[in-house]
Amino acid sequence: MSLDHDIVGPVASMKTSRSSSTLLSRLRRDRLAIAGLVTIVVFVLVAIFAPFLSSLSGNDPYTYHLDALDSSGAPAGWGGGISAAHWFGVEPLTGRDLFSIVVYGSRTSLVVGLGATFLAMLLGTVVGLVAGYFGGWVDTVASRIIDVMFGFPSLIFMIALGAIVPVSFPRLVLLVVIIGFFGWASIARVVRGQTLALRKQGYVRASTALGASHGHILFRQILPNLSATIVVFSTITIPATIGSEAALSFLGVGVAPPTPSWGRSIGDAVTWFSVTPMYLVFPGVALFLITLAFNVFGDGLRDALDPRSRGVRS
Amino acid sequence: MNAQRSRSPRSLRQTALKTAAAAAVVAIALTGCNANGDKNADSSTGTQGSTTDTVAGGTLTILTSATEVNWDPAESQNLAITTLGLVERRLTTWGVEPGKPGVVVPDLATDTGTVSEDGTTWTYTLKDGLFFEDGTPITSADIKYGIERSFAPELSGGLSYHKSLLEGGDTYTGPFAGAELPSIETPDDKTIVFHLTSAYGDWPWIVSQPAFAPVPEAKDDVATYSQQPVASGPYRVAETKSGVSITLERNDKWDKATDDVRTAGPDQIVFSLGQDATVTAQRLIADSGADKNAFGATFVPPAQLAQVANNASAKERLVTSDAGALAYLAINTERDGLDNVKVRQAIQYATDKQAFQVASGGETGGALATTLITPGIQGRVDFNLYEAPAGGDVDKAKALLAESGWDPASRELILVSEDDSVSLSKAQAIEQGLERAGFKVTIKPEAQLAATQTLTQGDGDYDLNVSAWQPDFPSANGNIQPLFDSSQIGNGGWNIARFSDPAVDALIAQATAEIDPVKAGAIWAQADEAIMAASPVVPLVFTRNSFLHGSNVENFYIPSFPAYPNYLKASLAK
Repeated sequence: MSLDHDIVGPVASMKTSRSSSTLLSRLRRDRLAIAGLVTIVVFVLVAIFAPFLSSLSGNDPYTYHLDALDSSGAPAGWGGGISAAHWFGVEPLTGRDLFSIVVYGSRTSLVVGLGATFLAMLLGTVVGLVAGYFGGWVDTVASRIIDVMFGFPSLIFMIALGAIVPVSFPRLVLLVVIIGFFGWASIARVVRGQTLALRKQGYVRASTALGASHGHILFRQILPNLSATIVVFSTITIPATIGSEAALSFLGVGVAPPTPSWGRSIGDAVTWFSVTPMYLVFPGVALFLITLAFNVFGDGLRDALDPRSRGVRS
Repeated sequence: MNAQRSRSPRSLRQTALKTAAAAAVVAIALTGCNANGDKNADSSTGTQGSTTDTVAGGTLTILTSATEVNWDPAESQNLAITTLGLVERRLTTWGVEPGKPGVVVPDLATDTGTVSEDGTTWTYTLKDGLFFEDGTPITSADIKYGIERSFAPELSGGLSYHKSLLEGGDTYTGPFAGAELPSIETPDDKTIVFHLTSAYGDWPWIVSQPAFAPVPEAKDDVATYSQQPVASGPYRVAETKSGVSITLERNDKWDKATDDVRTAGPDQIVFSLGQDATVTAQRLIADSGADKNAFGATFVPPAQLAQVANNASAKERLVTSDAGALAYLAINTERDGLDNVKVRQAIQYATDKQAFQVASGGETGGALATTLITPGIQGRVDFNLYEAPAGGDVDKAKALLAESGWDPASRELILVSEDDSVSLSKAQAIEQGLERAGFKVTIKPEAQLAATQTLTQGDGDYDLNVSAWQPDFPSANGNIQPLFDSSQIGNGGWNIARFSDPAVDALIAQATAEIDPVKAGAIWAQADEAIMAASPVVPLVFTRNSFLHGSNVENFYIPSFPAYPNYLKASLAK
């Protein structure tokens, strides 16, 4: 997740209230970003209304339908058992409705993706602000910690944590916490860099001279100028955290079955690919679409917020 | 411990290789050992392989998921007909032919043993013309030393049946401190005499276990013997690339005239280590290049079984065992709620055996089970105390729960499962079945070693577990004692239902001491039924193991017992 490379220079003195209308009009001109936004909205709606959607075909993601399988446990019929009752076919060995699994799986992906990103942004912003603003030994310590976090073999650590945390601890919360905890270093570094630049600005110095408290300067003067950076960074981090969840579930340390998860379905489907490819296709396409959507939307948002980078792409 | 049970393909294979511990042993197992053993088997589900004349020559490759092979006989639970049997001979071994009951046959000894009147003293005489790979003759002292070192605490993990049977074995700590075990006598170089604490009719099977292989004291180095054993069989370990491969070459000091069970066809045998089960199956289905001379030591996963079903060429090369090891759902009888026999009986009815069978690969994966003793074992009685359709009887389960007075919604039951996808799909089949009756089940995936630890050590912090049991020798003793004797709870024992019933313990003791196999069989059948009435486990299926081999591999078959291919006879066509 080294996302700190090219993104976002300081957006300096742009005022949020004034910019919102221009932001929308700029975004509107970027068709790719709009497509991404629409896709995201659709997935969010799917996640919210998952029980309703899967009940449309009279299914849920947990009920076995052994009659939909042939004698070897593979889905019977065309396209992995696609039928009026099972729109995406059924899962091998269980006969569970794949449409319901994909629909419910979006909940897992989005909850972990959004939750972990929020946590990472919160941690990263606070650490970056404090390090950049106060400088000195605070900065030295924070920067070293950020370096360590960058070099940390986080995947291995996540797997180990997933194995030792008691089963009574809710799995989704655990995933949010561990993915979020290992994802804050890059935003912290970017925020720190921008804070370093901002604190030398005239209006900050003026506030200091007028006797403003550190809290006031940090949260009222500097933070608003970082908001665009943080928003764009968040949008681009979400697909990475969704991917992390999928990777952990693929490796068998994500959410415990039978809770649907795209990553686990993909992991199971790999061995079934030559028998019933549609089992891999549906969850795979869903994961691909949502990560792509967040990425193009994040790109569009960055361009809209930061006029200087627009020429680069068009 | 991998070896121990059979739950996952991973552990299974390892078992085959390393084989497991006795008790728990490996996976699956026993398939019927006598003629009526395959009563439940559906002959349409596969072939058990065939035999033809052995052609000498070629390099046979064995693809295995294990990452190492421990050749130390004191640390191995290997089946007599798999890996270790190629290199290390024992006093007796297993005579296994396709479609015939497995029998114990002489290996280094001239017969399967002469027993004294009271059944406690067994005498064996060695054949002539037996040599180690370095040319020194094999004597009874080498066998005695091999057994003695299995008692040493630094060599652990081997089968331990003999340790409690030999007189003085409970206090003996191995030869490295200089002490001998007086209950093993070697009056001359050819004779070895065992004194047992009590009569034990299955002793000839015990002396086919790895610890009864000869180890020359002069060449024994505890640190390296697991990599560089001194061969007594037709092959010796020529080269070991850690984690990659092990190459066996012919041992020219082995004389075919002394050996009735090993045909030693290939010039070279290469174990290709650390191979993924799915990839192995895909390679063998494709059957190209050198893979024609290979077979998989790993169970074919359900997905590839479905693939093979649609591939005529691969179908011919798929070898499926008879109904073998018992897969079962263990219920921790010490936990709140589950200590109530009515609740456990409700679980019998709530369990969806059909879904479990499908998760195991359907008909090819196993035949539905209702008893603990596997088909084909002496004395087995087929009964069903909990008559229900294959998918379970939810109404009856709910009625029993209401009677029990325990509210299944009062707490979640923790189902410990290994974290591979095959184990997890089996766990989910159980979970969805029980939830139909109102139970709340949480699956706790754990890595294989951690799961074994949870189940066999400590005080049993789990409610349910899906396991499979392949007995170490074809007797009801191997089915029942390791799983249900109260002495096997914790401390590495495999009584994972933590079932303790003095009446059952007494039946087990009585049957073990009975020398007449028919009478013993009747007592075992009685024990089977007594245990099922208390419902500490739900028998699910008698699993069938499937293996694939390349088109150039001949004499590849799975006997009635055990449900593993016989490595000792596999050979290559010209």
